[in-house]
Amino acid sequence: MEGDNVYLPHVMKIEKVIRETQNIKTFHFNFKDESQKSKFSFKSGQFAEYSIFGEGEATFCVSSSPTRMDYLEFSVMKAGKVTAAIHELQEGDEIGFRGPYGNWFPLELLEGKNLVFVGGGIGLAPLRSLIWNVLDNRDTYEDVTILYGARSPADLSFKYDLEAWEKDDAVNMYTTVDNGDEDWTGRVGLIPPVLEEIGPSPENTVAITCGPPIMIKFTLMSLEKLGFTNDQILTTLEMKMKCGIGKCGRCNIGNIYVCKDGPVFTNAQIQNFLSNEF
Amino acid sequence: MGYKKIKKDQLKTLFNELSKDCSLFVPSGSKGYVGFDPWDGNSADFTEWYRNTTIPPKALFFPPVEAMLRFRKGEAGYEIEELLPNGRPQIVFGVRPCDARALKITDTLFSDTYRDPYYLTRRENATIVGLACNEPCDTCFCTSLDISPGESQDVDLLCSDIGDELLMEAVSDKGEDLLSKMSGLSEASGEEESKAKQLGDSAKEKITRQIDTSGLLDKMRSSFENREYWEDVSRKCMSCGICTYVCPTCHCFDICDENNKKDGKRVRNWDSCKFPLFTRMPMENPRHEKWRRIRQRYHHKFEYFQMNFETIACTGCGRCIRECPVNVDVTEIIGGIQAL
Repeated sequence: MEGDNVYLPHVMKIEKVIRETQNIKTFHFNFKDESQKSKFSFKSGQFAEYSIFGEGEATFCVSSSPTRMDYLEFSVMKAGKVTAAIHELQEGDEIGFRGPYGNWFPLELLEGKNLVFVGGGIGLAPLRSLIWNVLDNRDTYEDVTILYGARSPADLSFKYDLEAWEKDDAVNMYTTVDNGDEDWTGRVGLIPPVLEEIGPSPENTVAITCGPPIMIKFTLMSLEKLGFTNDQILTTLEMKMKCGIGKCGRCNIGNIYVCKDGPVFTNAQIQNFLSNEF
Repeated sequence: MGYKKIKKDQLKTLFNELSKDCSLFVPSGSKGYVGFDPWDGNSADFTEWYRNTTIPPKALFFPPVEAMLRFRKGEAGYEIEELLPNGRPQIVFGVRPCDARALKITDTLFSDTYRDPYYLTRRENATIVGLACNEPCDTCFCTSLDISPGESQDVDLLCSDIGDELLMEAVSDKGEDLLSKMSGLSEASGEEESKAKQLGDSAKEKITRQIDTSGLLDKMRSSFENREYWEDVSRKCMSCGICTYVCPTCHCFDICDENNKKDGKRVRNWDSCKFPLFTRMPMENPRHEKWRRIRQRYHHKFEYFQMNFETIACTGCGRCIRECPVNVDVTEIIGGIQAL
């Protein structure tokens, strides 16, 4: 879109639909107007407002890596009106897209560090953007450990990524499920105890975590037990958003606006939020 | 440029003239409540009956409902049409000093980091003609927030009602420009100037309601965890949202799509932090309890906004006190916090 109207969406074409789980889908998408593509850039951790015309907008991160710009990706759990409409999307359909918004994972602070990624459920979406970003510049970082968990084998998203990371000698990959089934031969256990069992050293390490609130709560406790300080823990927060640019007034936690000041925060920043409403 | 004056019975002629080249808005009761309506060629007597509007002038720049874009699906897929305001110059006549300040406050929000082209296009095309207050309402407390009923630096041109005449003083270049285009004005005398000043001073004295803003940031801070206080002050609130609707600085909005997938509009609507759905997400709602929403509103106005934009987002216009169906009173709530 020409001009500087921040609310005008780009029209994007859905190129591929991947069913991740019973209620999560991933979409590959691209600019309908190719001339816009070269002007677009984003960083891992940023989000956008996606829309189904006639249904409305919803907020999701860009889940692909900025190192892989052939197409963009976003992943959606079916939960309400707009997400239900998104789940109806077929290859070739068009959506609205405006962004990227918000801050990003501070790559320069991660350089030369061991990285521990801890993701739960669809919480792997923002992490995988960063993971692929890191793996595409593998020499810049030290050890890479990924722990991913979901409720059951059927709830594991991004299985193609898990497989790739499993095969990658430069990645310590751990997958776990809360409850297995008859075909599951892998690890069974909640993320926090599994994390403690793996026991990554906090020395020269940053942990990056995203997942459901209850998982985050106990993961933070486990990281603390392992000796991680709040400065060594990054997470990305989720709040109800509409504008994405700090004006519509709903995503604040105290004076901090998750859309504009976040969504990526260190745990130290979160602990220092003046008004911890939640 | 010094003070000019115009006879009130000449206002109609002036308004007819001004409205030739621009959209002119004046206070009017034609909708059953007092708001700023387009000049109808007729009712120039608002200086005689009006104290302040029910709906603040923010509605002219940030309308309760506005179409942002139109989308249409044709053979080649979706086409998006931007629906920006037309850019026609606007004059808003009769804005009170509290509301002029409120516009400056919402200006900071809508121009921060990302320009909001809908609001700002209208603002940039507008000239604000203020009208000093001679008779404040008993709900007014603007003087607690560094606002004077008799003067304003937040308008482009300020009028003072000195009886049969309005005194006019340009405050900005825009105001100067407008003043130079007005016909039917004459020079005001020093005596008339003093009269306007006296009326302003006396209006100031008539304002007895107040809030104490000294040390308020710290007090707000320490009241945050006082759940008992917030539960107590929110007990009678019905979550109707009228306080946010009539507030000149409340700016929360929703964006939604209207009509169908083939041809529709994306629309921005006023929303309210008083509504439980405002922050509802599929799995949780951080402010599902009423006291949390009330706390959010007052903390936003008196703490967060001040931290982020160096001004309290309240101008003491008193509308929320006047319109609240259950008499929730912001001055009592802030007073209560100061007394904690």
